[in-house]
Amino acid sequence: MDLGLRLTVAASLSLAPLLPLGARLAFLQIVRHDNLSTRASGEFARTAQEAAPRADLLDRQGRVLARSIPSWSCFVDKAMVKDPNAFGAKLAPLLGLPESEITHKTRAAVRFAWLKRSLTQQEFSKLAEARIEGLGLVPKSERVYPNGDLARGVLGLVGSEGKGLAGLELSQNQRLSGRARRMDVIRDGQGRTIYKSVSDAGDEPQPLRLTLDRTAQFLAEEALREGGEKGQFKEGVVAIQDPRNGEILAMAAWPPNPLRSPLVQDAFEPGSTFKVVTALAAVDDRVVREGEVFSGEGGKYQLTPGVTITDHEPEGDMTLAQILERSSNIGIAKVADRVGATRFYRLARAFGFGAKTGAPLPGESAGELKPLSDLTKVGLAASSYGYGLAVSPLQMLGAYSAIANGGTLWEPKLLVDGLPPVKVRRVASERAVREVALMLEGVVDRGTASSARIPGYRAAGKTGTARKIDPLTRKYSTSAFTASFVGFLPASAPRWTILVILHEPKGAYYGGLVAAPIFAQLGSRLLALAGLPPDRPAAAALTARR
Amino acid sequence: MDALMGFDPRRIVKFTALGALFLFLCWQHVQATRIGYQVESTRREARARRSRVADLRLRVDETLAPAALAARAHTKLGMVPASPNSLRSLSADGQADGLLPRLWARLPLVGPLRS
Repeated sequence: MDLGLRLTVAASLSLAPLLPLGARLAFLQIVRHDNLSTRASGEFARTAQEAAPRADLLDRQGRVLARSIPSWSCFVDKAMVKDPNAFGAKLAPLLGLPESEITHKTRAAVRFAWLKRSLTQQEFSKLAEARIEGLGLVPKSERVYPNGDLARGVLGLVGSEGKGLAGLELSQNQRLSGRARRMDVIRDGQGRTIYKSVSDAGDEPQPLRLTLDRTAQFLAEEALREGGEKGQFKEGVVAIQDPRNGEILAMAAWPPNPLRSPLVQDAFEPGSTFKVVTALAAVDDRVVREGEVFSGEGGKYQLTPGVTITDHEPEGDMTLAQILERSSNIGIAKVADRVGATRFYRLARAFGFGAKTGAPLPGESAGELKPLSDLTKVGLAASSYGYGLAVSPLQMLGAYSAIANGGTLWEPKLLVDGLPPVKVRRVASERAVREVALMLEGVVDRGTASSARIPGYRAAGKTGTARKIDPLTRKYSTSAFTASFVGFLPASAPRWTILVILHEPKGAYYGGLVAAPIFAQLGSRLLALAGLPPDRPAAAALTARR
Repeated sequence: MDALMGFDPRRIVKFTALGALFLFLCWQHVQATRIGYQVESTRREARARRSRVADLRLRVDETLAPAALAARAHTKLGMVPASPNSLRSLSADGQADGLLPRLWARLPLVGPLRS
């Protein structure tokens, strides 16, 4: 027997015992492969998830209004804690929590309990280094608002699970949420993670830019805060719109509440600011002649038996411009009677009252406009000066923007989405709108809104003072009012439409006394910031023709 | 050759190649595991750094928030809001008359006054 054969036999004999092992291996690897592979994966393989940060919310100039930052939450797995007291004593200084609180949670009936959410990077590093048994760390994403309460009514709120609960965070939740990145990992015997592969690359959403201007928003909130903190009114709203394209520049509310956006969600009886609709209908249809006067009836006018309209001041004869300047209910009711219910109703609808504006915020109110059949003589008269109907502040802002820009009603734009602004309709002829705009300048120059004047600049607008309905008696209150002012400036080429609404002002309650000064304050700040030159000639005396 | 003791040289090459392949696969597996640890560790470090960057950005944003700026401007510098009429404008093309406006326009961090 040669050497080769002998070696082969010896090798075969040595390897023979391995045959059953080989057979067993083949059985496990081939026949039971799927079953065993699944079990092994279950014990060692994991899918790690890296939450995609929620998209930033930016103002029109790209300044951050809301941002998501990485953070961590830590929990206790009670089953892995041997001595709750020692566990609590070790963790308390690291988490900045009382030892008793940690011990209490560790002794609770349930196995799992969150100890602290929103850990900072420093806290996380210390905890990771400490390697405390029974303590788990979960990466999260936290929503922060670097400007504090600025625009929170618009921005809204995000819940602890990262979903929007209010405001734009809710309405744009899908657009703002990203898809988490998923990775296949395995854990070794010591629990350390070994990266294997990316199973889903995820999706990180792009920042969402708003039309809001951070500075204008701050100025609007500041203007409201001064009075709000002194208790000069119960609630207040200030909004600024660019009448040239419908872009909303600021939406401020007092008291600030991230769960509510009263500008969009609330509806109120506007009072005299609604007179502009009646006046425009009259001018557009030429039902009032130039220079024609209406009697003020000395401040009291019996419309029908049992229904008397009063003015805040007894008035004599007035032109249409003077009716607006003096905010005469009697005068405008007579004009409305001339206009007729159908024309009045159609124009109110054309301005967008009684319908949602399409603003991208949740819970928008459509307001309430009486149907045409309910506009009887009394109903029409009341509606002509803004009673018996409800409008949202945003609708009113849009209506005055339409007057400021020559008659185009824009859909309020809050998101910079690359799409052009949406023109809803033309509300009236440009001639009529320009004429009414001139009348509104008269309201500021010679009428009830003298405190809205800004030296050197032309401003236009209308005051409003409406009694509120007492919720107990369901009748108009004698002590609770809504004071408002809506206007635009500079009147020569309007850049901003500003709306100010104050609910239940204390002391003085006329819109011209409490809301118009806020308009002037805000307007002058905006003018200074924009650096617009004065548009009022030295001896300006622009008067309305009617 | 006797040194080969009757083994076919081609077989030796085959066995050597198989052995080398086996060793390569083992080495590759070890390297994959080692890199897997590294990737995970780097990922954690990247997350920690992202968190730090986000933290710093947040502090910048908070410092530049209008309310914070206004408060500092008022309390530390005694500044008050300007009314539009208090602004005095010079021509934007720098052809300002007078010594003071010309010097003002030459300041590197100050733009020409508005006209």
